[in-house]
Amino acid sequence: MPYCPTSPQERRYVAHMLIAAALCILFSVVAALGFHHAHPTGFLAYLLGILPGLPILGALAATGLYLNAETDEFLRNVLVQSLLGGMGGTLALTTVWGNLEDFVHAPHLGLTWIYPLFWAFSGVSYVFVRLRYK
Amino acid sequence: MKNRLRVLRAERNWSQADLAQRLEVSRQSVNAIETGKFDPSLPLAFKLARLFETTIETIFDDELAEDNQEL
Repeated sequence: MPYCPTSPQERRYVAHMLIAAALCILFSVVAALGFHHAHPTGFLAYLLGILPGLPILGALAATGLYLNAETDEFLRNVLVQSLLGGMGGTLALTTVWGNLEDFVHAPHLGLTWIYPLFWAFSGVSYVFVRLRYK
Repeated sequence: MKNRLRVLRAERNWSQADLAQRLEVSRQSVNAIETGKFDPSLPLAFKLARLFETTIETIFDDELAEDNQEL
């Protein structure tokens, strides 16, 4: 059965996350095109570099707001467990990968991968958490 | 935690969705509590007790207390 948000808070959270994801893609394209064509320097370069990260901060804030607003303790519990799974998975992978970079010269993993990795692990974790309560 | 939620619900001919609506929670919450996979908070347990006009102890089995009595 496909995922379907149940509470109004959950629906609002999904909408906020979709907006954040869309803005993240848009701002990433704007930043990439800006650096490719305009070659900004100084303050403008920093501003353009930070731009794709702003929706990420928004998404994290939306997650915090949702956890605060959600009155259904079971749904809140499922998300918290999923996020913990996401954090654990990301910390484990990046730490092991860091050691591999140091000791066996594995290819460098850019820091920008940490955020998508966190949500990927959280998503996988969410599926397992939901299956546990089936 | 084992509980009598399914029985109490059946006595009133309520579906999980009906109970969820009365408790103002999701149907998944009711299912998770009913199957004993999720223990509700004290406020939600009181809400259940009020709804079924009974006590929390009548709905939920205090397995730990039963184990201690056997010792």
